[in-house]
Amino acid sequence: MSLNITSIAGKFYGYIPFGDIVLYVTEFSAISFIVAIFFTLVVYFTKPEKQLESQIGGFDTLNYVSLEELKIRRLMAILCGICTAFAMLTGDLFNYALFLALIGITNIGIVAAVKKEWVLNAAYYYGLIAMISTLPLFGGAALILAKTGTLSILELAKKPYDLLFQKILYAAGVVGETGVAPFYAAKAEMFRAPGAPYILMIHLSSLLIVIRTAEILLTI
Amino acid sequence: MDVVQHMFNPTVFVGFVVGILSLLAIAYQRSDIHTLILTDVVECAMLVIIAAVGTDLAEALILPGLVVGLAEFLAVSEILIQKNKLKKKGRKITKLFEEFLAVEEPKIDRDIDHPKMEILYSASRFISLLLVIYGAFLTGFTGGAVMSLGLLFYLLAQGITSKGISSEDIKDFWEAIVGFSGIMWALWIILGFVGFYLFPDHYVIFLLIAGGALALKVGSKLGLIGDLKF
Repeated sequence: MSLNITSIAGKFYGYIPFGDIVLYVTEFSAISFIVAIFFTLVVYFTKPEKQLESQIGGFDTLNYVSLEELKIRRLMAILCGICTAFAMLTGDLFNYALFLALIGITNIGIVAAVKKEWVLNAAYYYGLIAMISTLPLFGGAALILAKTGTLSILELAKKPYDLLFQKILYAAGVVGETGVAPFYAAKAEMFRAPGAPYILMIHLSSLLIVIRTAEILLTI
Repeated sequence: MDVVQHMFNPTVFVGFVVGILSLLAIAYQRSDIHTLILTDVVECAMLVIIAAVGTDLAEALILPGLVVGLAEFLAVSEILIQKNKLKKKGRKITKLFEEFLAVEEPKIDRDIDHPKMEILYSASRFISLLLVIYGAFLTGFTGGAVMSLGLLFYLLAQGITSKGISSEDIKDFWEAIVGFSGIMWALWIILGFVGFYLFPDHYVIFLLIAGGALALKVGSKLGLIGDLKF
């Protein structure tokens, strides 16, 4: 099978057929998959940070993360990592969009586990942005399907199609769904909230997804 | 030209127009809850665009799109509730789906005089039989709901007309039907469905077992309607 994706994504190693959904492995996607899995393991094994709040005219307080909050955030971070890892391998545009939506939901979960008002505000606005950007994301995928008759990246890579508008829509959707997540995490000052390491997953997934989107959009 | 192809451009146009108008409305909106609802309108516009494609594949894409949209909607509305909870302390806190999660049943002290409903006395058996047969023809979850509605109607009508049936009896009967549904599920999967693969030569027998057990299973699935609390 001759594909021109080899020029962008490195050597093409083969594909894993799961019925309709075909995963494929290139050098790029294999490396990204391993990175995402590695960081998922890191998130699983780390303990959350404790935070020392100094008080003026009083005793300093140490903020612990309660077990309940820790569990839900760790679960969300691990799910986010797994979704990111498989979004690297997937060979179907709509499947990729679904992975992105799931990453968006887990990002909302990671941010929203902190019960502080400003953090919840940021999570709320991020949720709104993620919901709005499902329109360009899924709409772009549907328009690509309407124009070419397929959603498979492997099939789309075979022929040159003129898909500039659809690609712009799709990219806008990706940016809204996961690309802006670190922005809202920074807006909520999540680095200062107790239990910091899980926020790593938001940044990592956003980074990997943006790179992978560029690769997909150059391929099709 | 096919009607689907003919409608493609207008449908996509409508989807984008609805999306952009909702974005404008969101920009002007100050209330949190209204912003959330308008955001859901944008998601509906997304479904319109997918539906414009109008093929089998598009049909298969609408369902995940809808599920993802609903999941995000629920997550964000739960965040909104938490946010308001932190904002206003001391007020009564409402949870999402509170009416479905109620633990205590409201107690009524007085006896309420029900006017005699003739249909419960004379036609309960006929109506429940009609519903069960109609449900069996419908099949699937809808049919199951109709069938179990028929059974439930008969049961409650018997309870109302006080032919020596207490609420304990109704509860036992309910649990018996639900258990029967579980047994039929096992019959369908284990005897019927697995039988196809193990003994492909006798497929007619297993087809009959699976079909019959499936109809009985869905028909007795009272959990589709709800749960009894006494």
